[in-house]
Amino acid sequence: MGCLASSLEGMTTNTTDTTTAAPDAFAPEEPARLEWAKHAPEVYKAMLRLEKAAGQGLDLKLRELVKIRASQLNHCAFCLDMHTKDALAAGESVERIVQLAAWEESRHFYTEKELAAIELTEAVTVLTDGFVPDEVYEKAARFFDEPELAQLIAAITVINAWNRFGVTCRLTPGHYTPGQHA
Amino acid sequence: MSARTRLLSDGVRSALRALGAAAKQGLGDPGLAELVQIRASQLNHCAFCLDMHLGIAREQGVGERQLDLLDAWEEAGEVFDGRERAALALTEAVTVLTDGFVPDEVYEEAARHFEADELAHLIALVTTINSWNRLMVTRRIPPGSTAW
Repeated sequence: MGCLASSLEGMTTNTTDTTTAAPDAFAPEEPARLEWAKHAPEVYKAMLRLEKAAGQGLDLKLRELVKIRASQLNHCAFCLDMHTKDALAAGESVERIVQLAAWEESRHFYTEKELAAIELTEAVTVLTDGFVPDEVYEKAARFFDEPELAQLIAAITVINAWNRFGVTCRLTPGHYTPGQHA
Repeated sequence: MSARTRLLSDGVRSALRALGAAAKQGLGDPGLAELVQIRASQLNHCAFCLDMHLGIAREQGVGERQLDLLDAWEEAGEVFDGRERAALALTEAVTVLTDGFVPDEVYEEAARHFEADELAHLIALVTTINSWNRLMVTRRIPPGSTAW
C-alpha cells in the first residue's frame, strides 16, 4: 500500500505543477465544492441503504475490483482513494489493483469470472456510448447465476451513483481509513 | 434479442425508490425533475425510463414544445429558461462522467440558480435516474413493462 500511495503521489506532483512557487511542494488541497450529505441527509441515508442492499451476495474482493474499475472510468478520486484502500484491507494485491486500469493486457492477473464482471462494469458504466452488448452480458451470465448477476448489476449501478456524487461535489480524496464507515 | 434477467432485489428497488423520492421532494420542482430525468435517459438511451418519464411529464403539464426540443435544448432559445438550462447542463455533465469532470462553469451556473440544499437534491436526482437507466438498459426491460 505504501508503494501504491507513493507512486500515485509522484505522478500528481510531476504532472500538475503549474505554479512558480515551491516547485517541490504538492499542489494545495482544495475543499469540496459541496458537502452534499449535509445538505441532503435523507438522500445520504437512502444511499447507505442502497449500498448495503447492493452489496449482499457478492464476493468482497470482486466487489472492490468492480468499484475501482468504475471509479477509474468515471475519474472519481474520492472513490478511488476509498476503494483501493478497502481492497488492500480485504487482502487484495497491489499488482492487481495497479493492473486493473489495463486489464485487457493483463488478463492473467484475474480469473475469468472476475474478467466477466470487469467487462460488464465497463459496459454498464459507459452507457452514453451505446448499450450493453449481448456478448458482454452473456459472458457475465455464464459465470454468475441469476441472483448473483442481479446483485452484480446493482453493485455496478451503485458505485456509479457514488462516483456521481464524488465527482460533481468534488469530494476531497486522501483521508479515508478502511472500516471508518463500517 | 436474447432474454436478460428481470431480477432486482427488493432491497435495492426500495432503497432506490426512497432515494428518488427524497431527491424529488428536496428539489421541489416536479416539472423540472421530469425534464432532468428525460434528458439523462436520452443520453443513456434508456427506452423504459424515457417512456415512463415522458408520460409523467405530460401528466404534470410539461409542455409538448419543451419535450420535443429537449434533445436540442442548447439551441432552443427561449423554450427553456435560465434555471432549466442550468439544470440541464448540470444533468449532462453529471451523466457523461466518463468523458471528463463536471466543469466549473457548469457547476457554478447551477449554483447560481439553485441554493445549496436544492443543488444537492438536483445532483441526487440526476444520480438516481442514472441508476435506473443502468438497471433498465442492462436488463433490457422493455418500455411499458410492469415487471421490473
